[in-house]
Amino acid sequence: MEVPSGFTFQEESGGIASYRLDANDMDVLLLQEAAAPVVTFMVTYRVGSRNESLGLTGATHFLEHLMFKGTERFNKRTGTSVFNVLQRVGAQVNATTWLDRTNYFELLPKEHLPLAIEVEADRMRGALIEERDVESERTVILNELDRGENDATRNLYHALWSAAFVAHPYHHPTIGWRSDVEHVTPEGLRHFYDTYYWPDNATLSIIGDVDGAEALGLVREHFSGIRRPAGSVPVVHTREPIQRGERRVTVRQSGQLGAVMIGFKSPPGLSPDTDALDVLSVILSAGKSSRLFRSLTDRGLTTNLFGGASRFRDPGLVYVFAMLAPNRQHEEVEEAIYAVLEDVRRDGISHEELQRAKNQRKAQEAFGRDGPFAVASQLNEAIAAGDWRLYTTIRDRIERVTREDVRRVARTYLIEDARTVGFYIPVQETVE
Amino acid sequence: MNRTTHTEGAELRPFAERVTERRVGPCRLLALPTPAQSVVTWRGSFMSFPEFDSDEDLLQHMVVSLLDKGTRRLDRFAVAELLENRGAQVDFSSDGLYVDLSGRALKEDVPDVLGLVAEQLRDPLFDEEEFEKARARIAASIQRSMENTGSQASGSLTRHLYTRTHPNYTPEPAERLERLESIELPDVRAYHERHFGSNAFTLAVVGDIDEDEIVEAVASHFAGWSEHEAPAHYTSKADRSRAGRSVVPIPDRQNVDVRMGHPVAFRRTDPDYIPAYLATYVLGGNFSARLMQTIRDEMGLTYGIGAGLYGVSAEYSGHWQVAVTLSGENVDRGIEETMRQVRLFVDEGVTNEELSDKKTTVVGSFQVGLATTSGLASSLLKNAERGFDVGYLDRFPDEVEAVTREFANAVIARHLEPDDLHIAMAGTVEAPMDAAASP
Repeated sequence: MEVPSGFTFQEESGGIASYRLDANDMDVLLLQEAAAPVVTFMVTYRVGSRNESLGLTGATHFLEHLMFKGTERFNKRTGTSVFNVLQRVGAQVNATTWLDRTNYFELLPKEHLPLAIEVEADRMRGALIEERDVESERTVILNELDRGENDATRNLYHALWSAAFVAHPYHHPTIGWRSDVEHVTPEGLRHFYDTYYWPDNATLSIIGDVDGAEALGLVREHFSGIRRPAGSVPVVHTREPIQRGERRVTVRQSGQLGAVMIGFKSPPGLSPDTDALDVLSVILSAGKSSRLFRSLTDRGLTTNLFGGASRFRDPGLVYVFAMLAPNRQHEEVEEAIYAVLEDVRRDGISHEELQRAKNQRKAQEAFGRDGPFAVASQLNEAIAAGDWRLYTTIRDRIERVTREDVRRVARTYLIEDARTVGFYIPVQETVE
Repeated sequence: MNRTTHTEGAELRPFAERVTERRVGPCRLLALPTPAQSVVTWRGSFMSFPEFDSDEDLLQHMVVSLLDKGTRRLDRFAVAELLENRGAQVDFSSDGLYVDLSGRALKEDVPDVLGLVAEQLRDPLFDEEEFEKARARIAASIQRSMENTGSQASGSLTRHLYTRTHPNYTPEPAERLERLESIELPDVRAYHERHFGSNAFTLAVVGDIDEDEIVEAVASHFAGWSEHEAPAHYTSKADRSRAGRSVVPIPDRQNVDVRMGHPVAFRRTDPDYIPAYLATYVLGGNFSARLMQTIRDEMGLTYGIGAGLYGVSAEYSGHWQVAVTLSGENVDRGIEETMRQVRLFVDEGVTNEELSDKKTTVVGSFQVGLATTSGLASSLLKNAERGFDVGYLDRFPDEVEAVTREFANAVIARHLEPDDLHIAMAGTVEAPMDAAASP
């Protein structure tokens, strides 16, 4: 199609076309897919808990809650809150936050796409962020914190990341430290909003049964009036210092069965080494053919385990999380994991294992295109990691990984000095 | 636009025209081709009829958890490799009167994977060592559920609303663990022998399908799979309402999960179901419903609150429930304010505007839920299990639209009674004076 006026065509990759809105440098990704008469509209802001400083931890998440509290145009007073107007037309609407990004999305019948675009354009710069809303939402978030802290394995996960990262903001959980949630002010949140919620810090994804020219026309109509920011988004300069020795962390909480988590420092999500670690993680822990399943779960040491290589913007962790079987000790599970990792470091992997891992990832990629929301969600994470094309090229990237790559990354990253080990130790308590 | 992935306008023909339904051997096969490139998803089920008061649902759970641990022809690793070499997935689960099966595979692998599914269902190995490992895994999952405030509150509520013979009854975890210890491998084999068969066997396959290939695979792999003769043995009515409060104390859990519920007398196939569903949606179906708007948005008392109909099927009735999570200091006020909203809802009913809004929401959500192969396969299967023809999926929006305010409010008046609600809580909470020990 002809590029609609007001846009500059950027490129196409994997069937997805990228455009830039000339008025304010906002990026738009478009995939027309007519499997069902629905569309997903998603706005990804490149701001997450990575951008938070001490005292404002949790601001990304708190602000995301407040973005549903209203603007002059859409608000509860007039019966036009975001949820009201969108859910009324059958939209699934929500938002999420994580380390590198915040996303707002609507999955809705295609005829209502104009409404979703209007709502998101309106709240990009129009959020009210009123004091009374901050106060009522504060207790909501404190309850959300309590809910999270009920889960001991979640507490272990956060404790391990906090121990592994001492300088970089991946140190703190995205929901923030409780005391910061308790004390953050409307002014602090307003400042955060005014710093990061701008069109040139956002990418729109439009996936589904849409007419491309019409959809872009709607984007132009609603977003081109939003000006560029006066300044630029602050750069996160903080790098995590090199870890020079194993760290250990323990979480004691009332409960029944323990867990072990082991994480090793890993490169940024866009690094080719992360592709090899991705393949290694599949070989180690995906499915019942995986090495850790065979050595631990199949032998009754654990009831289940999972692992992964994080694909974040900055260096993260490649990790294993193991749930202990009854009457098993943390130490024996930890040692059993090391034995499996040592085998890979020493002998590498077989051709069959590599092929199986690639087939698993290939099928996963195909199923990742089943429905517009699945596509938008994966694009969202790729944008967060720094390049939306990570989604469209992942299959080729995985295909390029060799057995030698896997052994090399195992030897480079799965090392004791870069390791953080966490135990969840259940404590038997009774309530009077 | 010139995109390789673009197909011309979404298929809008009715399901009745797009879905092929045929009997293939013992199987009712529903096939729906969609433009999902190379992806195929299926959902299936058959009726197994466990006896709940004999804890046969636990036996069924054990059988299901052993289906991926080898067949008499293939050991557990061969099963895993057959699937994982193809990036395919197969799952079995126990669901009340049914055993469910689900899976996905790339187009070219579907016949092989369906062949494996048939072998797993019909000819499982039931190895002694795997049996012991499965017992330990199930024990661990029951133990872990004891830390979970949500599942403990929900389980406690069911013990106040149902008898043991009802499929929705959840036994006490400690009792479950004790029973688990007494199960032996011959019990598992015998259960499989007596309760696994092609009774009401239905399979819905959706995606980039080659129908002839799928028909051939089902015909050859499930040929001769006969029905079992286990009788239906369950209570279909939830009629054991015991108003009051109960607490499952769990230490060191500051968030308290609360479930408030009472039984309802209708099933999914009764005319009162859709009006009751719509009306309940007005109260607590989504973020813009009354409970989220008041208890969360205005008062800031909770992160999550909702109302719904639970465990209502074509075979048995279930219950009406409000679920809310509350931090320790807000438990009393949270329950009080929630009850105030529930009473207001029952006393005054819903308004025309609310009903109209939720009709659009429900129909739109239904449409959105059908945007993936898994959503479509699940809907086709559930629809068939309820005894509806495929055309019901086309008629559902009209049935929703036809509900009047008067009828919805009459259904509320007929079925809902705030004074009958049992309030079950789990977490670190001081037991109220009238708290009963959780049965």
